Amino acid sequence: MDCFISIELGTNAVRVYAFDTNGAIVGFNRGAYTTFHPAADYSEQDPEQIFITMLFVLKNLVSEIKSTGKYQIVSLCFSASMHSLLAVDRNGVPLGNAITWADNRGKQETKRLRTKALARKLYEATGTPIHPMSPLLKILWLKSNQQEKFEKTSMFLSIKSYIIMQLTGRYVIDLSLASATGLLNIHHFGWEQEALDYAGITPAQLPDIVPISDSSCKLKRQYQVSLGIGPETKIIVGSSDGCFASLGGGIMEEGRATITIEDSAAMRIIGRKVLQDEGCRMFNYILDEHYYISGGPSNNGSVVFEWFSRQFANYTDSYSDEMVMRDLLLMAEQVDAGADGLLFLPYLLGERAPIWNPSARGVYFGANINHDRRHFIRATIEGILFEMYSIGKLLLQHRDISQITVNGSFVTAPLISRLLADIFNIPMSVNQHVSAVSTGAFLLSAKEFGIYRSLEEAAKSITLHAPVHPDPANHAIYAKYHQLFEKLTDKLSPEFELLDELTLLSDKH
Amino acid sequence: MNQFLFKQDNGNELMLFPHILEMGVRKNLSVQLNAFPEIVATRFCVYYVIDGKFDWQVAGRRSIILPKDAVYVMPGEKIGGVNGTLDVGTVAWIHLDIDCLLDKGRNQGKWSGFSESEALTIEHIFRMHRAAHLPILNEVSRIFQDIYTELQQREVGYASMVNQLLDELIIVLVRQLTRQSASSRDFPKKFLQLEQMLRQNLAHQWTVEEMAASVGMGTTSFTERVRSYSGFSPLSYLINLRVTEATRLLKQPDLNVTDIALDTGFYSSQHFSTTFKKLTGYTPREFRKKNLYL
Repeated sequence: MDCFISIELGTNAVRVYAFDTNGAIVGFNRGAYTTFHPAADYSEQDPEQIFITMLFVLKNLVSEIKSTGKYQIVSLCFSASMHSLLAVDRNGVPLGNAITWADNRGKQETKRLRTKALARKLYEATGTPIHPMSPLLKILWLKSNQQEKFEKTSMFLSIKSYIIMQLTGRYVIDLSLASATGLLNIHHFGWEQEALDYAGITPAQLPDIVPISDSSCKLKRQYQVSLGIGPETKIIVGSSDGCFASLGGGIMEEGRATITIEDSAAMRIIGRKVLQDEGCRMFNYILDEHYYISGGPSNNGSVVFEWFSRQFANYTDSYSDEMVMRDLLLMAEQVDAGADGLLFLPYLLGERAPIWNPSARGVYFGANINHDRRHFIRATIEGILFEMYSIGKLLLQHRDISQITVNGSFVTAPLISRLLADIFNIPMSVNQHVSAVSTGAFLLSAKEFGIYRSLEEAAKSITLHAPVHPDPANHAIYAKYHQLFEKLTDKLSPEFELLDELTLLSDKH
Repeated sequence: MNQFLFKQDNGNELMLFPHILEMGVRKNLSVQLNAFPEIVATRFCVYYVIDGKFDWQVAGRRSIILPKDAVYVMPGEKIGGVNGTLDVGTVAWIHLDIDCLLDKGRNQGKWSGFSESEALTIEHIFRMHRAAHLPILNEVSRIFQDIYTELQQREVGYASMVNQLLDELIIVLVRQLTRQSASSRDFPKKFLQLEQMLRQNLAHQWTVEEMAASVGMGTTSFTERVRSYSGFSPLSYLINLRVTEATRLLKQPDLNVTDIALDTGFYSSQHFSTTFKKLTGYTPREFRKKNLYL
């Protein structure tokens, strides 16, 4: 039987899945790599480590699949986190580490650009919010802070482009990842000259833009031998993880949305038109030539809950992380909606959508003498979900949404999907596929091999659990608390700035 | 214990023990200004508080040291009272030349009974934790007392007894240190520390026992934890780091392939070549050629 391999270059690890023609997972392997934080705001990864880890993991999976004697590997399809930047010299040798999406070193460059009229123009042309995550601002940072490296840079790549270059010898970037660089014109699918001019680079320093279904790259002979993959196996460039998550969530039609909560989180909708947000708060990335994925990302997903459990959960050595998590959720369930008036603003890592404020902080508000640990657990969870609703409310201004698919291990816990349904007052369907991203990669690959006629048809093959329906009484409570949540977020904005200045001062001393 | 001070160049108590540079107990009855200025330790210094309460800077971190607490600093780390003050209380200390222990191979004045691999593990743990405040470490009190008694009374076999007690002191410190950092609460952070340590010294022939000990875990649970966290066994993860570093170094034209092999921890250029080719399909030399002339 034919077998399709998906290679997910994620934030913390590479995950490799093998699917059969029915979309069933017949093999899986993963390998973690490290994120380094050499200074505050810095977030880097070693491109060679990612490449070597990917080779290891892929090689093991391929030999496992082949040893069954049942499958013929017909394609490899790639996906990767958005917004990474890797500078390489004229020999293709990396000039230092890759900078990840979570890196905030371009704060100053962001502030400067936001004061200009150009900011709105670039946002409208490129679909990428003006924020340090954007490769555009990372390049600007490099230009003003590491001039020598900037001048030595022959190409500005994403991590995925680097990996594909190693394997095939070609510099390419798919349209989807390119649309998250802040450098691509999302309306006519070419590099945006004004953005390139502002960054001080030329189109020759960027990889060739190809469609996500492109399979013109050929695996180098040496890797064919070492991996045991023949020249007939197609190398499909694939898309960004965010866009594949939407496809893999089965939402190829308007009126539906996905909420993904991993370490970070995002809510996304799909449409044939760019979503115009006056406040420049929503992204518009490209899935393929016909569809845009629009929405907002939050920094504060399950990473916030993990922080909470590390600090306050009852750890003893006999407990696994999953047990700790389960205990916390059980305790949260003992408290009513609204946590008896305890609110939590979850901005432990600053925030992207919808406030785009890297200085924002976490806040517990409304504690009184009757609150106990359970209320804090409940409030922490509700705070993370309220933030998703803040993004959701913006999207609801532009589109009607009647059903939402939820992805990610945190959000698929029954309590969490129920709370989300109550907060949004919209039914939530849990995606039962292990990885929405790789499922998306499978659907694209299967379409390329004629199993589906179109991505729309492919997306219909996704089966979801019966939706969790909202409880109107709870929604009424949450609607009020959410108003307070938004008010607090808004009100505290100057205080967040003040605190940022204070801590910057004390860091200097 | 009463007040005393044994010093290498003063009296003959330490004559048979060139590795003990100083040992003493001080009862401080009033706050003494400038009695304990912050200095850079030149040897391995262990302190143990018997009574009182001391406010110290240990390797740049302020610590309140209470009775039964031990503190140590490695050579090169700073220690001293806050503003140089020595607070009221009783403190015992011993200064050791620990290089003899750590450089076991070249060691002439051999005093410790550690095997070579034990000594290496201990060295790695002290390298990762160059100074520490270890609260409530009762055993240290007894060990100090016994060393003092042995040195005083010089009964038959006292030289061996003292050296054994020093080994015991080091084991007690190291075990407490690893236990203190062994809670499963923050494995990712520990794993990152471990990775940085491995990357700094890839040439060393790491064993799983060493890696586990340096993050304060037993071998079995460490292996399990690494596997579930990274997807690799500890040794595969290490090979992965070796090939990663070799890949980077091969792209620098001025380095010799054999040197790269040894620097990244392969036994020989043959071993390097086989491992590298298995994964990438290239021998290191072919890989270099491909990557330098695009």
